[in-house]
Amino acid sequence: MVSKKKIKVLTKRVSVFYGDKQAIKDVNLEIYENQVTSLIGPSGCGKSTFLRCINRMNDTIDICRITGKVLIDNDDIYKATLDPVLLRARVGMVFQKPNPFPKSIFDNVAYGPQIHGLTNSKEELEDLVVNSLQKAGLFNEVKDRMNESGTSLSGGQQQRLCIARAIAVSPEIILMDEPCSALDPIATAVIEELIDELMQNYTIVIVTHSMQQAARVSQQTAYFHMGNLIEFGETSKIFQNPKNKQTQDYITGRIG
Amino acid sequence: MGLGSFCVLIILIATFITWYGNNKALRVNHALGKDLKLPSLPKYYSFYAILWLIIPSIILILTWYIAKPLILDVLVLSFISEDTIKNFSGDPSMLVDRVKSINIERPFPGTDTNLIEAAVYLKKTLERVQTFTFLSILSLGCFLSFIAIKKINPAFRARQIVEKYNVAILLVCSVVAIVTTIGIVFSLIFEALRFFDKIPLFDFLFGLSWSPQMAIREDQVASQGSFGAIPIFAGTLLITIIAMTVAIPVGLTSAIFLSQYSSPMTRSIIKPLLEILAGVPTVVYGFFAAITVGPFLKGLGDVFSLNIASESALAAGSVMGIMIIPFISSLSDDVISAVPQSLKDGSYAMGATKSETVKKVILPAALPGIVGAILLAISRAVGETMIVVMAAGIAANLTANPLEAVTTVTVQIVTLLIGDQEFDSAKTLAAFALGITLFVVTLMLNLFALRIVHKYREKYE
Repeated sequence: MVSKKKIKVLTKRVSVFYGDKQAIKDVNLEIYENQVTSLIGPSGCGKSTFLRCINRMNDTIDICRITGKVLIDNDDIYKATLDPVLLRARVGMVFQKPNPFPKSIFDNVAYGPQIHGLTNSKEELEDLVVNSLQKAGLFNEVKDRMNESGTSLSGGQQQRLCIARAIAVSPEIILMDEPCSALDPIATAVIEELIDELMQNYTIVIVTHSMQQAARVSQQTAYFHMGNLIEFGETSKIFQNPKNKQTQDYITGRIG
Repeated sequence: MGLGSFCVLIILIATFITWYGNNKALRVNHALGKDLKLPSLPKYYSFYAILWLIIPSIILILTWYIAKPLILDVLVLSFISEDTIKNFSGDPSMLVDRVKSINIERPFPGTDTNLIEAAVYLKKTLERVQTFTFLSILSLGCFLSFIAIKKINPAFRARQIVEKYNVAILLVCSVVAIVTTIGIVFSLIFEALRFFDKIPLFDFLFGLSWSPQMAIREDQVASQGSFGAIPIFAGTLLITIIAMTVAIPVGLTSAIFLSQYSSPMTRSIIKPLLEILAGVPTVVYGFFAAITVGPFLKGLGDVFSLNIASESALAAGSVMGIMIIPFISSLSDDVISAVPQSLKDGSYAMGATKSETVKKVILPAALPGIVGAILLAISRAVGETMIVVMAAGIAANLTANPLEAVTTVTVQIVTLLIGDQEFDSAKTLAAFALGITLFVVTLMLNLFALRIVHKYREKYE
């Protein structure tokens, strides 16, 4: 699968500032279509900040400022004519802590399609919700209690509900910000399997603290340190044969 | 010795005991040598000793103040000569009251000299007995705390006991408020029961006419009063509804603006200004309603050839609504700000706009808190008096027309109790009946509000 590499997201000299503090320094990165790219690095290295540049979630933080270019399908997502609302329908996001809305399971998944007006009838909406829950591997567990609150599910189920919610608007890219850090190993394994399946239809970028997870789920790995992109390449190469000393230190557990 | 000097003395003694107990514990520790130590820190031993000083003292002092009047009566009666009691036409207890009310320095001319002597005796003995009581209480406290200090030894765990007493003290303090509430209820209930002896409960709750004028003397020409409270309840309801119609939309939208849209700069200006509104005395709102809003509405009505009374439910209700705005806005602001950022992020990440997020995620998540805020505001509005007195009048009209004068429960209570009243006429007692109705209603509202707030509080997790 490595042979057909189409670039989905391209960043050119991206820098991010929080007030005076520079969190990301001139990052150039390519993210390939239908692959999983993992961003690893010690805490505070800027990998989450970088992730949030791809769907412009940093816009919601007042003091945050971005320079450089982020291109999705060769289109600059920071140009003035681009509506971040539409962008975020194309680039879904799953967060560190499962954050289902305090609504029913059905309404959680139906949220995106409703605000974007994706369906024309109630039946269509129901089909879409069922479909998304199936894709997220949650449908069989919740089909009898679609009207219960999303917050009544277990942590792993909540996270899959959030994934279902994200894929309900058929995004092209799914960003995952440490999606398993609040979950136990079994729930984590379920999510990782799910990521493997989702990869066929979506481009996935995942931030993770677990190097084993990065090695298991991703084809490409980027190592960040202090806001710099230190090394980027195929996951197998990064883990077996890192070119950079810092990357090696981090991967072998000497730092971080 | 008065209570003031007693308090000063007890503080001095407590300081000394702290020092002494600490020292004693340190000495014991020292004597025990390296391997063995007291199980608690020295301060716990001295604290334990202080508890033995203070708790019995407080209990005994309270007992003294409760027992004092009883002791006084006996003392006075025993001092007054048999003859004076025999000559007195009323009950001896009235004589005691008369003695107590005598001003010794300047007795009312013509007062019985026996009684003046009794008063002088009373004052002196009282002072002596009180000083004696206080000193004995103090010495008992000292004795107990010194025993406590004596008890310092490695087998005695002071910390555990002090912690237990801590809990007990906290409990007692929190019970004070509850006991007070119960006392208030009882003070209302007894008077209200007397009222319901005269007027049947059914007539009061469902009667359609309110005119509480009673003939004071048998021969007086006056209507037999009627005590149907429905017009008053209806007036209260009408004014509350008007107030809420003003306060809920304005308060809620300003809360949404302040918590979600405003820049920190704007927020830092608007929020304190809104809170100033909450600090305006209700009498001042009353002026505003009576002098500005009422006539303005009347003038406005004239333009559309509507007849608006210069004292109208609309004027009072709308000004009351303005008064309640900061109440709703700051409570809702708190609950809206408490909606976790992760929920908002989740919504934005789905491509929702700010207003969609507010409408579909933030408000539903904060709804229980907002409902709680509104219910608390309603109970505030129901209990508000001044604005209504000044702007809505006191005529108990049964009407749903906001342009007419109406009256509320609190206003009626005020008018019933103003001036000289005899406390056994139905007119005066009606105030208590109204009071307890009001109390029950606001209590229910508050309980309901708290229940809602509690039930949904942990829903975000």
